[in-house]
Amino acid sequence: MTDPKVVARPDAAVSAEFAELASDERIARAAAALERNGIRPLLAATAADARGLVGSLLADGSEVYNNTSQTLEAIGVADDIERSGRYQPLRLRLYRMDREMQRRELRILAAAPDYVVGSVHALTEGGSLLIASASGSQLGPLASGAGQVILVIGAQKIVADVAAGMRRIYEYCYPLEDARARQAYGVPSGVNNILVINKVMTPGRITAIIVKERLGF
Amino acid sequence: MSMFDYDARPATPGVVLVGTRASRGAYAIRDFLSRNGYPFEWIDASQPDAVRAVLGGVDVEPSALPLCILPDGSRLASATVEQVAAGLGMVVAPSLSEYDLTIVGAGPAGLAAAVNAASEGLRTVVVEAVAPGGQAGTTSMIENYLGFPNGISGSELATRATVQARRFGAELLLARPLTSVSADGPGYIAGLSDGTLIRGRAVLIASGLEWRRLEVPGVDDLLGAGVYYGAGPSEALACAGSRVVVVGGGNSAGQAVVRFSRYAQQVTLLVRGNDLGASMSQYLIDDVTALRNVDVRVRTQAVGVEADDRLRSVIVRSEDSTEAAGLRADALFICIGGAPRTDGAKGIGLVTNRTGYLVTGSDVASDPSARWPLPREPLPLETSLPGVFAAGDVRCGSVKRCAAAIGEGSMAVALVHRRLAEVGGD
Repeated sequence: MTDPKVVARPDAAVSAEFAELASDERIARAAAALERNGIRPLLAATAADARGLVGSLLADGSEVYNNTSQTLEAIGVADDIERSGRYQPLRLRLYRMDREMQRRELRILAAAPDYVVGSVHALTEGGSLLIASASGSQLGPLASGAGQVILVIGAQKIVADVAAGMRRIYEYCYPLEDARARQAYGVPSGVNNILVINKVMTPGRITAIIVKERLGF
Repeated sequence: MSMFDYDARPATPGVVLVGTRASRGAYAIRDFLSRNGYPFEWIDASQPDAVRAVLGGVDVEPSALPLCILPDGSRLASATVEQVAAGLGMVVAPSLSEYDLTIVGAGPAGLAAAVNAASEGLRTVVVEAVAPGGQAGTTSMIENYLGFPNGISGSELATRATVQARRFGAELLLARPLTSVSADGPGYIAGLSDGTLIRGRAVLIASGLEWRRLEVPGVDDLLGAGVYYGAGPSEALACAGSRVVVVGGGNSAGQAVVRFSRYAQQVTLLVRGNDLGASMSQYLIDDVTALRNVDVRVRTQAVGVEADDRLRSVIVRSEDSTEAAGLRADALFICIGGAPRTDGAKGIGLVTNRTGYLVTGSDVASDPSARWPLPREPLPLETSLPGVFAAGDVRCGSVKRCAAAIGEGSMAVALVHRRLAEVGGD
């Protein structure tokens, strides 16, 4: 793996190549590969369609954790989860917990929701999913902790292979996320953890909704 | 590249509350939002830059405080708890014209009753003045509750119970206190502060306790401005690095000390009795006495306060000394037990003991003033009115523990079934 200290420069110029929507052909190739890897692919023409798909996949009354995600916020899914009253939004439940007294409850509750809804930083044409995280907290639920995983992926995130996915994380996502973190939290971000999902042992546990729009980064 | 998933904050906008720390109204809203788990951002009105940042560059008129900005962007000037609750859609009407059981209070006893009643098919409604959880809901960590070897916080227990009750179909009507109970054939009509009327075939009063007032001059004037009743979970973060005084010798006081010791520079616990063992669980005594930044003063009472726009010190007097002494304090938390909360139910003539707790069961039967009207004996937990039950802390003779309240709430449902069978239709 590339040494992040060398490559991950938040002031690096953002690579425009990673912002371009993939062609229908590449989307189809990635979707077929996901299916081979046990990940259920769904295609959405628009963000609104994707929002509807997420709603149709979530069971009423279930515990749902929405990862911090520009994509989810942009398409209204974060709002649906936190405000609709249809689900138990774990983000709000975690928020109300005492950071000193309830660390253990925080950890347990965040680790194994019924559903985690999020996005990825790259989807390869070979059907691999790449997710980077500064804290690492959402990677465990994605890999195995959550009962079901729903990922909403803008088609600009499709890359050729894992190496290109790594480049996308370091050269494109990281500078943008670092700027966002500094503004939102007053601290820098970091590519401290990367999860690569090549194949799943429980087919259907992960659903990847590919949207033919540029969503998030 | 998520940064703070364990410190998760809502992705969507919450409430913004602008006010002064010394404002009682602002504290009431903070407390209400905090106890209901509603995300909010507190903006101190004494920080003009922060105020302008949320108000689009303009200042706020002092007369508009506390100012509440709702998630939809609408603004409530001089906001009240009732307005905020309504603005957030927390005030909903009952969905049925009649219920089998109306439960007053959503503390441990009320929620346990709701779960059991609804799971057994009873049409169940719970009315709650503030937020689910009752006194236990503000408890930082209950370590001796069965099945949770590492403890569970009161708020988390209340959250789970609320979800469970709703899953079985119980309705929860929040943010409106009970104002009346009146007879309606063999059943009763409960009236809420906003005029809502709820017809129920049986009633369970599980309204718990309200904090007993500390009879010290000046304390009431400082409510929300450094003086708080209960553990004040909304204030814990604000106590960072400060000096905190807790008054009380029971488990609530012990829980408050443990919580605030995590944030405050120094916590002083004032206990009127000779030791903590009289009314505090041993595990809490062990916790409290092991904390380095906690000073336990037994045989000591608060006798006064000193303040400018907010609390500055607490005047204390030890029984071992004739001299009163000032104790620098940024916050005073009063946890000196409670008085039964029976205001809304008083008018119908429920029999209470001398201190206001609801008399039930065999105590009703043996009390001639109760004028029990039926040929049968009152059921256990049944008050002096057939079909009106009491459970938890509000009941005369109850054990003032969370687990005991949950037991009584669960048990009450079996008795409600017997009452409903008696009046037909169960």
